[in-house]
Amino acid sequence: MKDKIDFSLLGTLLKKQWRERSAAFRKGNFDAVGFIFRILLTFAFVAVFVVFFGKFLDIYLNITLNGVLDPTERLYELLSIVYIVVLIAMVISGISQINRALFAADDMKIMAALPVGARTLYVSKLIYIYLGQVLFAAVALLTVNLTVAAHASQPALFFVFTVLACFLLPLLSVGIASIFALPFHALKLALKNRFVISFIVVTLITAALLFLYAYLLEGVKEMLLGDDLKYFFNERVMTRIASVVAALYPANLIANILLGREMLVSCLVIAAALVACALISAFAIKKLLLRSLQSRISGQAKVKGARNSLVSAHSPLAALVKKEFLMIFRTPNYMFSYFAIAVVMPLMVYFCMSVGSSLVVKLIAVDCSLELSVFLTLLFGSLANVFCTTNISRDGQMFYSVKAMPVSPKTVIFSKVLLCMIVTCVSQILCSVLLCAAGYLSVLNGIFLFATGLLFGFAQVCIATRIDFDHAKFSTEPDGEIKESGNTVSSVILAGLVVSFLIGGAVVLVRMMLSLRGLANRFSYLTFVIAGGAAFLFAALGYLFLIRRLNDKYYRFSGGGLL
Amino acid sequence: MAEQQTSHADEIVRVDGLYKKYSKKADWAVENVSFSVNQGEIVGLLGHNGAGKSTTLRCLEGMLPFDQGSISICGYDIVKSPLKAKANMGFVTDDHSVFVKMTGLQYIDFMADIYKVSSALRKERFAELESVFCLGDSVRNLIASYSHGMRQKICMMGSLIHMPRLWILDEPMTGLDPRTMRAVQIFMLDYAKKGNGILFSSHALSTVAKLCDRVVLIRKGKQVSDINVREITEKDSQFDFEEYFLNYERQD
Repeated sequence: MKDKIDFSLLGTLLKKQWRERSAAFRKGNFDAVGFIFRILLTFAFVAVFVVFFGKFLDIYLNITLNGVLDPTERLYELLSIVYIVVLIAMVISGISQINRALFAADDMKIMAALPVGARTLYVSKLIYIYLGQVLFAAVALLTVNLTVAAHASQPALFFVFTVLACFLLPLLSVGIASIFALPFHALKLALKNRFVISFIVVTLITAALLFLYAYLLEGVKEMLLGDDLKYFFNERVMTRIASVVAALYPANLIANILLGREMLVSCLVIAAALVACALISAFAIKKLLLRSLQSRISGQAKVKGARNSLVSAHSPLAALVKKEFLMIFRTPNYMFSYFAIAVVMPLMVYFCMSVGSSLVVKLIAVDCSLELSVFLTLLFGSLANVFCTTNISRDGQMFYSVKAMPVSPKTVIFSKVLLCMIVTCVSQILCSVLLCAAGYLSVLNGIFLFATGLLFGFAQVCIATRIDFDHAKFSTEPDGEIKESGNTVSSVILAGLVVSFLIGGAVVLVRMMLSLRGLANRFSYLTFVIAGGAAFLFAALGYLFLIRRLNDKYYRFSGGGLL
Repeated sequence: MAEQQTSHADEIVRVDGLYKKYSKKADWAVENVSFSVNQGEIVGLLGHNGAGKSTTLRCLEGMLPFDQGSISICGYDIVKSPLKAKANMGFVTDDHSVFVKMTGLQYIDFMADIYKVSSALRKERFAELESVFCLGDSVRNLIASYSHGMRQKICMMGSLIHMPRLWILDEPMTGLDPRTMRAVQIFMLDYAKKGNGILFSSHALSTVAKLCDRVVLIRKGKQVSDINVREITEKDSQFDFEEYFLNYERQD
């Protein structure tokens, strides 16, 4: 029987997806702290973007190329660049969403057995993803375009096309994502159970993205350190921008439409691109979808590199640490959120340090490398350690099974803390070595940074583990994997940021103020006292918080929402 | 002394006046349940869905705290000496909870480490258990790829690697193929003969009748009967346990 799209079923399928999504907002499931945190973060980001983008617009639109002032051309360049960034973000998110919807969502097991065609299912998922992307595009494009309109007056048609672009850009992103989604899934299947290779690939991709980020930061630093922004955008740079923008399809076509230039050609090319996406996507569905859906349900899983015999005996603590390691290492999402992030954390610190230290020296002529490194290590370390907020929850039903084993509560909980500390230790050593090798820190300061980072990490791991223990929420997914963050995650992120800014900010500020008054050398020990003292205090408090009535609470534990 | 063995030498499990509720406002999930399992005995826990069998077993395993009563395993009180009590038992949960990101072998190794089984012993016992459960090459695969029945088998193997004095099973036959079901039944009888105790819950009345020495009936959280099936069968060869149980249910 030919698999045609059943339009009568699309509404039902969309309604089902909406009901599943809206369940997260119902009482009991609703992560109020996380929701408010995300809204505030979005508002803060939009506000900062509007201010800086507006100032940048004022300068950029007045830049001349070959002695000619052409604000429309500059606007075209700027819009093309911004749109391509938004489009790339949406395509990446789209690929991930399509993959999750088709191969990770539990409903597909049921849906695959119902009399609903694969195409109908696929299209219903695509429409839902498209609607989500329209929302994202509306926030992104309206922010950009309204800022543009506020700084460079635009005709009424600009606003009409802005609204149209909010629907058009997601169409393109979902179209492109749908082409890459299935090959991406095939790649994922090829990497399945090759955990070491996956780890290397994920870490390398994350590191590459960080290099790109560092490159951009370097550009920002040059702009900020330059005497005049116009000087940075010299003839050579502007010619390069123009040639890059000419190749930024289809973002430059959308920019053209918005500015009322080459409208017919732009519309036709975009329409052709959409048709091409639809055709390639349809072909991919025909060739790959059914096979992919079936491969999800069946298949043995050999683990590359796993031992083929029983190994020698370990202590219960070692067995529990190994269990924790395997659980994280063999769950791609966990592996990325923790191991890969912890490994690349030193790079984040290094890049920000390279920008930050020279910027501070240039702006206020104060060398505060140690203080800045403490601040950055605390900040990025706290973000990397957020994963520990699932230390208990990610065990799911197995937490109860471990509870029934002859292992003391402290051993069970300490095994989790120990693994996190091993990861933190590796991360902090890499961080200190990198900063010492780059000449930002002396060996002594490097050791101090390592010790401070480790103590703060310990405090955060202890607190996060205990909060999760007291408010555990086990996953109801068949594999027990936690797919959505809860209140604990948001709270620990927030607390980590506050502490990083308080302690890190305090040492930077004290150093700056002392330097400006010429007292830096006399009171150089203050950084060690403030950061070191706070680290010891937090570590001690964190430990006490973790073990407070732990035995009693462990034996009386009946939370998690599964029993 | 808290850790001293306190019960009768023959008793492997002693449950006295067990009470459990899930929240203050809720009804008793388990209300005044008392029974024992002696050496060499197989005891079945029977009742309809939601009767309180799994809750009783979870309290016994130390997974759930209980409100009143006492539980001792091999003389060790589960509250006062939890580690010693737990070291003497092996358990299989009704949802076959296992670490799905481990291979079967890694899971067996994990359980052997937890119960402190030496390298030589674990190899010997693994070979013995493999001959009963026949997982074959699948033990080298990720448990996530296992079928329902295979998970059940690896759970059972993990729970027996330390050869516990008490083996607790919640719905053990669910998902097993007929050959393995038969092998497990023979293994259970043999395991009990060696002086160990087995406590299991099941809805399969024929299995219960075939294996159990005694049966504890639970209805709406309350223990309604503790029947010595073996004794009755020996006195009355015509005794039909299935009919007896269904009659009991009809009276409700």
